[in-house]
Amino acid sequence: MPRRGWVTAASRAVTVLGVVALIGVLPWLSGRSPELSILRARSAEQEATPEALAAIRAELGLDAGPLGLLGHWVSGLLRGDLGTSWISGGPVGPGLVEALGVSVTLMGAALLVALGTAALLCWPPLHRVARGQRGRTGGAAGAALTALPEFLLASVLLLVGAVWLGWFEPYGWTGPSSVVLPALAMGLPGGGLIGRLVADGLTVTGTERWVATWQVAGASPGQLGRALLRRTLPALTTQVALVLVGLTGGAVAVEQVFAIPGLGRAVLGAAEAQDLPALQAGMLLLLGISALFGGLAALTRALLLGRALRSGSVPVPARTSPSRRRDRLLPGGAAALLVVVVAAGLGRDPLASAHPRLAAPSAALPFGADASGRDLLARVAHGAVQTVGTAALVVLVTLVVGVLVGLLPRASVGPVEVANAAPPVIVGVLVAAALGTSQAGAALAVALVAWAPIAAYVAAASAEVRRQRHVTVLPVLGVGPAAVTWRYVVPTVLPAAARNAVLRLPGIALALAALGFLGLGATPPAPEWGLLLAEGMPYVERAPWAVLAPTGALVTASVLAVSLSGLSRRPRRPAGPVAVPPGTTAPSPAQPAAVG
Amino acid sequence: MSGAARGVTDDAIEDPVLAATGVQRRYPLSRGWSWGRRDVVAALRGVDLQVAAGERVGLVGTSGSGKSTLLRCLLGLERPDRGTVSLAGRTVQPGSTASLRWYRRLVQYVPQDPAGSLDPRSTVRELVTVPLRHLHVPGDHAAAVTTALTRVGLDPELTDRRPGELSGGQAQRVALARALAPGPVLLLADEPVSGLDLPVRDQVVQVLADLSAREGLGLLLVSHDLAVVARLCDRTVVLADGLVVEEGPTTDLLTRPAHPRTRDLLAAVPTLPA
Repeated sequence: MPRRGWVTAASRAVTVLGVVALIGVLPWLSGRSPELSILRARSAEQEATPEALAAIRAELGLDAGPLGLLGHWVSGLLRGDLGTSWISGGPVGPGLVEALGVSVTLMGAALLVALGTAALLCWPPLHRVARGQRGRTGGAAGAALTALPEFLLASVLLLVGAVWLGWFEPYGWTGPSSVVLPALAMGLPGGGLIGRLVADGLTVTGTERWVATWQVAGASPGQLGRALLRRTLPALTTQVALVLVGLTGGAVAVEQVFAIPGLGRAVLGAAEAQDLPALQAGMLLLLGISALFGGLAALTRALLLGRALRSGSVPVPARTSPSRRRDRLLPGGAAALLVVVVAAGLGRDPLASAHPRLAAPSAALPFGADASGRDLLARVAHGAVQTVGTAALVVLVTLVVGVLVGLLPRASVGPVEVANAAPPVIVGVLVAAALGTSQAGAALAVALVAWAPIAAYVAAASAEVRRQRHVTVLPVLGVGPAAVTWRYVVPTVLPAAARNAVLRLPGIALALAALGFLGLGATPPAPEWGLLLAEGMPYVERAPWAVLAPTGALVTASVLAVSLSGLSRRPRRPAGPVAVPPGTTAPSPAQPAAVG
Repeated sequence: MSGAARGVTDDAIEDPVLAATGVQRRYPLSRGWSWGRRDVVAALRGVDLQVAAGERVGLVGTSGSGKSTLLRCLLGLERPDRGTVSLAGRTVQPGSTASLRWYRRLVQYVPQDPAGSLDPRSTVRELVTVPLRHLHVPGDHAAAVTTALTRVGLDPELTDRRPGELSGGQAQRVALARALAPGPVLLLADEPVSGLDLPVRDQVVQVLADLSAREGLGLLLVSHDLAVVARLCDRTVVLADGLVVEEGPTTDLLTRPAHPRTRDLLAAVPTLPA
C-alpha cells in the first residue's frame, strides 16, 4: 500500500542520513577535547598554553558547533575532499583509498573462502535431499568450530599457521602468502554460518510437498538439486547480506591481528590517535562497502525470485523440526565446562602478581601465569563473571528496546536494517571515538546493534499474533489499538522474545570480548577475556598458555553461542508464534481480509 | 427487545435499521510499486442492503462474491470507497474506538470459527467481560456475564475455565455469549457454523434460532450453506461479483430461484432439509 511504502522508505532514508550526520558531528560529540593530544602528537616541545590550544581549536573548526561542523564536512565530501588529518596535517583521502584497495582485496579473498566453506557444508544435505532421503540439519559441532569470532580465529590461525608451522607470514602485507591466513580468519566464520543456514534451509525445503511430486514425476537428482537451491536461497539472501556486511567488522579485527595496512586497521588507528577526520572518512568508506553488499544481496534476491517477489506469492517455508536431545548436548556440555572453570577460579585473586612471570601450567597454577605473574585461572574465571554480568545487562536493555521498537514494524525498518548490518566492532570504534574506551562504552556499542534482531523477531511475531482470530475480533468488541497491543500482543510475544534475547547472551559476551581485544572495551588490569587474549598475544611463542587459557574460554563460549542460536531457531511448540531467524525482515502485515 | 433495554439506555434508537447504500469497495491487487496503473479488484460494486429490527436475513454467495468485504464495511472495520453504512440514519465508518462504541453495543459480531476467536489465556468470565468493559456498558458486569451464559444455554459454573478446557460446542456458545453480553439488537454472523461437525453445528444453529424467536434478536447470517440459511432466515440476499443479484423471502428464493447465480448455488446443494 502506498502509505505503508512511504513510511518504510522514509524510515530508511532518515536512518541513513542520521548515521551520516552522526559521523559528521563526531568531532563535536567527542567529549574529550582533542586539541591537547593533537598538540602532543605534532610536536613534543611546544607548551600546552591556552593560546596554543585555542589556536588548534580554531584551526580544526571545533568552535563552529555541530551544524557548522556537519556543513563543512558535507560540503568537503561533495567536492571530493575527505578531510585533513589532525595529526599529519595532510589530506586523509589518498592513504585511505590505498587502504581501501588492500581491504577490498582481502574481503574478496575472504568471500571466496566463505563461499567454499558454505558449499562444503551444504553439499551433504543437498546430496541427500536431492536423492529423496530425509535431510539432516547442519552438523552442529563442525559448524560451531567455523563460527568462531574473527578476532579469535585470527589469533588461533596466527598461532598455528605462522608461529608453530611457519608456513605463512605472521604480519604485514607482502605478497599472496600474506592473504591466506587473514582470508581464512575472515571467511571461515561467515562461510560456516551461511553453510549452516543453507543446510538447514535445504532440509526444511526437502520436506515440502512439491519435492515428492517432482520425484514421482521422474526429476533427476540434478534437476531437483537446482530446484531445491533455487527455492531455498532467496529466503536466505538477507542473512547472507548480513554475513557479507559483517566482513567489514571482521576486517577491523583481522587486519589488527595480522598488522595489515587496510581500512579497518586505519580506522582503529585513527580512533586511538583521535585523528577524527581520518576516522570519519574511513567510517564512510566502510559503510559504503556495507551498503554495496546490502544492495548486491537485494539485487540477487530480486533476480532469484523475479515476479514472485512483487506479487507477494512466495510461499512461506515450513516450520523447522522440534529440537532433538542431541542438539542440547553441545550447549549443555559447553555451559558445564564454563561453570567448572568459574567455580574453580572464582576464589583466587585475579589481580595480584604473586607468581613468576609467564609461569607454565602446574598443579598450583592450572592455567599458568601471565606476563605480570597473575593467575590465569583466576583471571579467566573473574573475566567470565564480569563479561557475563555486562552481557546480561546488555541483554536486558536489548530486550526492552527490541520489544518497544519491534511494535512499530514499518517505522522501525530503517533503524533495524542499519543496526542489523552494523558490525559491533565498527560501532565500538565510533563509541570509543565519542566517549573514550571503557567497558561501559563497549556495552553501549554492543547494545546499539544487539537490539535489532530482537526487534525484527518481535515485529514478525506480533504481526503473526495480530493475524490470529482472537485478536482480529477485538476491535468489534470495543478494544482499542493500544489495549490490543499491551493486553494481547505484548504478553503473547514477550516470553519468546525474552528467550530469544537470553539465548544471545554468549554471543553478546563474545562481542564484548572482541571489543576488549581491540582495545575498545575494558581497560587493564581488568580480567576481561578479549583483553586477556590481547595481552597474551606478544608472548605466544614463549608462553602459549597465556593465549590458550583465554582462547579456550572464548572457544567454549562460541560453541555455546552457536549451539544456543540453533535452539532458538527451532520452536518447541509448533503452535507458538513462528520463530524467525535473527535478522530476517518482518513479513508484511496482514492484507485486508480475503474478498468474499 | 430485551437486549436493547439492557445495554443502550443512553442512546436508545427507535427503529434500528442497518442499511448499506450503494457501497463500493476496491482492493489493489499487487503490493509495492509498479509502473503505470495498478490492478484493482472490485470486491463490492454498489451494494444496497437493509436489515430491520428483529429481522433475520441470510446473505449468501460463492467465495469471492464480496460477502466478507460487505461484512467488514457493515462492522465499521473498513471504509467503503463509495456509499454509506448507517444504523437508524446514523453513519457508521471506521474511526476512533470511542466514536464507534454506541454502534458496537447495538450491533455485535459472531466470527467464523467462534472458538478460535477466544483468547486461549483468558477465562470464560474474562472473555465475556471484554465487550462489557471496553464498550463501557453500564451495570453489574458479573451479573451480565451470568445472564449472557444462561441465554446461550451454558452453565454459569464454567466461568473459570479457559477455552482449552471447553468442548467445541461450549466454546462456540461462549463466543456467542460474548457477542450477546453488551445487549445488541442485531448480530452479524460470518459463517458461524462452517467447519463444525454436525452435532455442534446443530447446537449453535438451535441457539441462534431460539434467541431470535424468543428475544426478537435481529440476525444477518453470512453463509454459503443454504441449509443453515433456510433454517434460520426469513429473507435471503444473493451476492455475486460484488452485486446483489437477487433477494426475497427465503422459501420463495430457494424454491423458485430467478437468477442463474442463485440456481448455481442451489445446484451445489445435494438435498435440502424438508
